[in-house]
Amino acid sequence: MTKQEDARRFKLGKLVLWVVLIFVAVIQLFPLIWLFNFSLVSSTEMFTSGILVIPEEIKWSNYSTAFEHGHVLRYLFNSVLINSLAVISVVLISIVSAFAIRRMRWKLSGLVKTLLLLGMMIPIHATLLPNYMIYSQLHIKDTIWALLIPYVAFSLPQGLFLMIGFLESVPKEMEEAAVMDGCGIYRVIFLIVTPMLKPSIATVSIMTFLNNWNEFMMARTYLSTPTWKTLPFSLLDFTGQYRSNYAIQFAVMALTAAPALLVYVILNKHITKGVAMGAVKG
Amino acid sequence: MDKLYRNKLVISTLILPGLLLFLFAILGPIILSVFYGFTDYSGMGSYNMIGFENFLNLLKDDKFGLALRNSLLLALGFLLIQHPIAIIVAVVLDKLRGRAEGIFRCIYFIPNVISVAVIAFLWKSVYNPDFGFLNKVLAFLGFSGQINWLSQENAIWSVLVVLIWHGFGWGMLIYYTGIKNIDPVLYEAASIDGADQKNTFLRITLPLMKPVIQVNVTMAIISALKQMETVYLLTGGGPGDSTQFTANYLYQQAFESFRYGYGNAIGVVFIVICLGVTVFLNKVFEERQEQ
Repeated sequence: MTKQEDARRFKLGKLVLWVVLIFVAVIQLFPLIWLFNFSLVSSTEMFTSGILVIPEEIKWSNYSTAFEHGHVLRYLFNSVLINSLAVISVVLISIVSAFAIRRMRWKLSGLVKTLLLLGMMIPIHATLLPNYMIYSQLHIKDTIWALLIPYVAFSLPQGLFLMIGFLESVPKEMEEAAVMDGCGIYRVIFLIVTPMLKPSIATVSIMTFLNNWNEFMMARTYLSTPTWKTLPFSLLDFTGQYRSNYAIQFAVMALTAAPALLVYVILNKHITKGVAMGAVKG
Repeated sequence: MDKLYRNKLVISTLILPGLLLFLFAILGPIILSVFYGFTDYSGMGSYNMIGFENFLNLLKDDKFGLALRNSLLLALGFLLIQHPIAIIVAVVLDKLRGRAEGIFRCIYFIPNVISVAVIAFLWKSVYNPDFGFLNKVLAFLGFSGQINWLSQENAIWSVLVVLIWHGFGWGMLIYYTGIKNIDPVLYEAASIDGADQKNTFLRITLPLMKPVIQVNVTMAIISALKQMETVYLLTGGGPGDSTQFTANYLYQQAFESFRYGYGNAIGVVFIVICLGVTVFLNKVFEERQEQ
C-alpha cells in the first residue's frame, strides 16, 4: 500500500465518522428545531406543505400569550422552590444517614441500609394509589408536602447509595483526630466530613434535580388546585384551554422546556459528569 | 472514642429522618396497597374484603398481559436498536477529541433534560396527520395519502420510536463514560502489536465495557417495565389498550374505572415483578462475572 492510499483511506474513515455523528445529532435535534419553528408561525401557516415553515411575520406574540395564560412565572417559581428544597433535603439526609450507616457502630446498620436501598427498585407508580389515599386522609393533598415528601423519599435511596460509596473513600484519620480533640459527632459530620464530600454532593444534587424537575405524575395525582403546580402544568393545563390554537401550544411547549435546557447548556460539563458518575456507580 | 460512635441517641437522630421518610412515603403505602389489593374498594364509599379475587382476575386479564408484552417489546427495542447505536456512537465520539466531542455529547443528551410532558406533546404533533412533519416528509418523497401513526396497529411502534429516541442520550453517555475509563495504555499496546480497529474494539473495548453494559442493560429493562408518563400523555394506553403499560393500566383502573382495589392488586404484583427482575438480572450478571 502506498502512503497516498493510506492517507486517502484515513480521510474516508474520518468522513464516515462525521457522517454517523451528524446523522444521529440531526435525529436527536430535529424534532426540537421543528418545535421552535412552529412556535413562531401562525396557526394557519402550520398546515402548509413545507416541513419547516418560513413565517410571513415572526409571531413572538405566541410567546406572550403562552407566557401569560400558561402561568409560566408562577409554576416556574413553584418548581424552583420545591426542587431546591428537595435537593437540600436529599443531600442533608443522605449525608447523615450515610454517616450513621458507614461510621457509627450499631447492630441494625446493615439491615437498615438494605431496607433504604431497596427503595431504588420500587416503582414510583405503584405508590401513587395508596399515597393518594394517605394524603387525602391527612389533608395534605394540594400542599407543598404532597410533592416534597415523595420527591425526597424517592431520590433518597440513590443519594444514600452514592454517599455511602463516596464516604468509603474519605479517610477516617481526620475525623478521629477531631473526636480526640473533643469534637461531637454532629460537628464532625458538618465541619469535617461534609466539605470532603463536595464532588458527591454535586452528583447527588444533579441526580435529584433531574429526577424531580420534570416530574408530573405525582403532581397530577396529589394536586388539584393551581397553588403548588409545577412547570409541566403550564403545558398540561394549557392544552385543554387552547385546543385549536396549535401555534400557541408550540410556544408553551418551548417555554416549558426552556429553563431546564438553558441550565443544561450552561452547566453541561458538570451535569454530564454528574450523571455519568451517578449512573455508573448506581 | 468508641463510646461516641456507639451513642444510641446520636445514631437515632442521624438515621431517623431518612428511615421515617422511607416508612411514610414508600414502605407504608406499599403495605396499604397490599391491604386494598384484597378489597373491592371503588375509591369511595364502603368496601368488602374479597380475598384473592383481584389477584386471580389479574391472571386472566388480557390487558395486563398486553401491558407486559409491550414492556418486553420496549426492552427489546432498547437492547436491539438503542444500545447498539449508542455503543457505536460512543466509540466514534471517543475517537473524535477536541471541541466537537463536547458539542456532540451535549447535543445527544438534550432530549433527556426536556420534560416528558413536552416530549409527549411534541411527538403527538410530529405524528399529527394534518401538520405533523412525518406525513409531510412522506408527501415530499412523493408518497400520496396519509398514514395514521397512532392507529391501533401502528401506535405501539410509534410509542417505541419516541421512547428509544428520548432515552438514547442517557444510554450513550453511560457507554461513553465506560469507554473513557479504559486505560489508554491498553490501546497503545494493541497498536504496537499491530491490531486493527475492528480487533481493538472486539478484544479490548467491548470486554472492558462489560460492567457498564451490565448496568445499562439492567436499567433499560427496568425502565421498560416502569414506563408510564410518555404513554399516559401520548396515547393514554390506547387505542384499544394497544399501547398499554402496567403502571398506566393500574392508574386507569383506580382513577378512571373506579376499581381502586383492583388497581392496588396490580400495583402489588407490579412491585414484585420489578424486584424479581432486578434481583434476577443482578444474579445473572454476578454469576457471569465469576466465571
